[in-house]
Amino acid sequence: MDAILTLWQSTGIANVTWRELLMLLVGVGLIYLAIAKRFEPLLLLPIGFGAILSNIPVAGMAGPEGMIGMIYHVGVETGVFPLLIFLGVGALTDFSALIARPSTLLLGAAAQFGIFATLIGALALNLLPGFNFSLADAAAIGIIGGADGPTAIFLASRLAPDLLGAIAVAAYSYMALVPIIQPPIMRALTTKAERSVVMEQLRPVSRLERILFPFAVLFLCALLLPSAAPLIGMLTLGNLLRESGVVERLNRAAQNEIINVVTMLLGLAIGSKLSGELFLTTQTLGILVLGAIAFAIGTAAGVLMGKLMCRLTGGKVNPLIGAAGVSAVPMAARVVNKVGLAENHHNFLLMHAMGPNVAGVIGSAVAAGVLLALVGP
Amino acid sequence: MDTAGTELVVEGLWLMVIGMTIVYAFLMMLVGFLTLMSKAVARWAPAESLPAIPPAAAPTAPATGDARLGAVISAAIQAHRTRHRP
Repeated sequence: MDAILTLWQSTGIANVTWRELLMLLVGVGLIYLAIAKRFEPLLLLPIGFGAILSNIPVAGMAGPEGMIGMIYHVGVETGVFPLLIFLGVGALTDFSALIARPSTLLLGAAAQFGIFATLIGALALNLLPGFNFSLADAAAIGIIGGADGPTAIFLASRLAPDLLGAIAVAAYSYMALVPIIQPPIMRALTTKAERSVVMEQLRPVSRLERILFPFAVLFLCALLLPSAAPLIGMLTLGNLLRESGVVERLNRAAQNEIINVVTMLLGLAIGSKLSGELFLTTQTLGILVLGAIAFAIGTAAGVLMGKLMCRLTGGKVNPLIGAAGVSAVPMAARVVNKVGLAENHHNFLLMHAMGPNVAGVIGSAVAAGVLLALVGP
Repeated sequence: MDTAGTELVVEGLWLMVIGMTIVYAFLMMLVGFLTLMSKAVARWAPAESLPAIPPAAAPTAPATGDARLGAVISAAIQAHRTRHRP
């Protein structure tokens, strides 16, 4: 009889709590979004499955002795995984649009306003009962506005590890929602004439320029903002692998094998942070709401900066490309292209939007470096 | 608590001012740096930009297509004439 009782007590049914059940459902929900709706499936699927595995009662897979807990410890706590993803992003990104028209960097800078506005929003939420965000928490929430998954995870793992699960899920789900969040804001802030501005073709960029570019970025970073060096350093290394043209094998590994393996492990590790006690709080709800606001403000700031540049250049810049200043490569640039095409069927803005788009990646890495330097431990 | 809350918001505002200033300053310097770099490359390593010159003739791209066609046709006529001269 005792044996049966012991056996019963080791089953999942006897040990499950309502929180774990709910989180299992959240995990299933994320997987549903990934498979049926194709929302960032590369990340949401492993995150969802990680959430399911971590909330299996008794198994303790997310604990310090569990498999996923160890992956988290090795890859996320140390910040190594998001940095390896940045290596892959660097190898995948063609910066020539940015080199051909460096002024688009300013659009990437403007869109980072969303980060800081959200930071204040998070602090203002403290005035409501049920919220207690520290400055570091608020900074980690704000970085969702950078629309850059790896940067958000890197910063959150440094500043607010407890909120990592909610921040990562918010960052990646809103990135999938870019085509829904951005167009209404872009249309509201621009006139029909501005949207149909045709931009002149970009000049060709020589190979030497593309090879020197990573060094230029890294040099400035080392000089002015060493706290952003891990992010910028890996990004520029990846880009140099790509542009040097002599290490095709490493380039291909960074673009495919490394980024794929790390994405899977990172997803599992983040899923382990979706445990009942940490996720089912009013704070999570606040983070989800703030994340959407962050995206909206970042988009608006980018478009407004685009309008300013349009005025200053005498109508040579289409303000829509400012919206691509929130990173979300290449989704945001595609959205810009689509909205532009809706006004003028022959106006392809994709290449022009890639400039601010990749500038946004550098911009959010810089913003992350600033936040690390100012509120970091 | 309330005053502590507002204090935190004020601190956040400072962070925003400083943060945006640094982000802007950094990226504007990068703009300058990249412009200089492009100029230097165009000046000191023009060999690198040589392959870019044929596409720079791109405005006349349809014309070059015509010219090539013209060249082919005239060569064909030439060949025809030389063959049928005797």
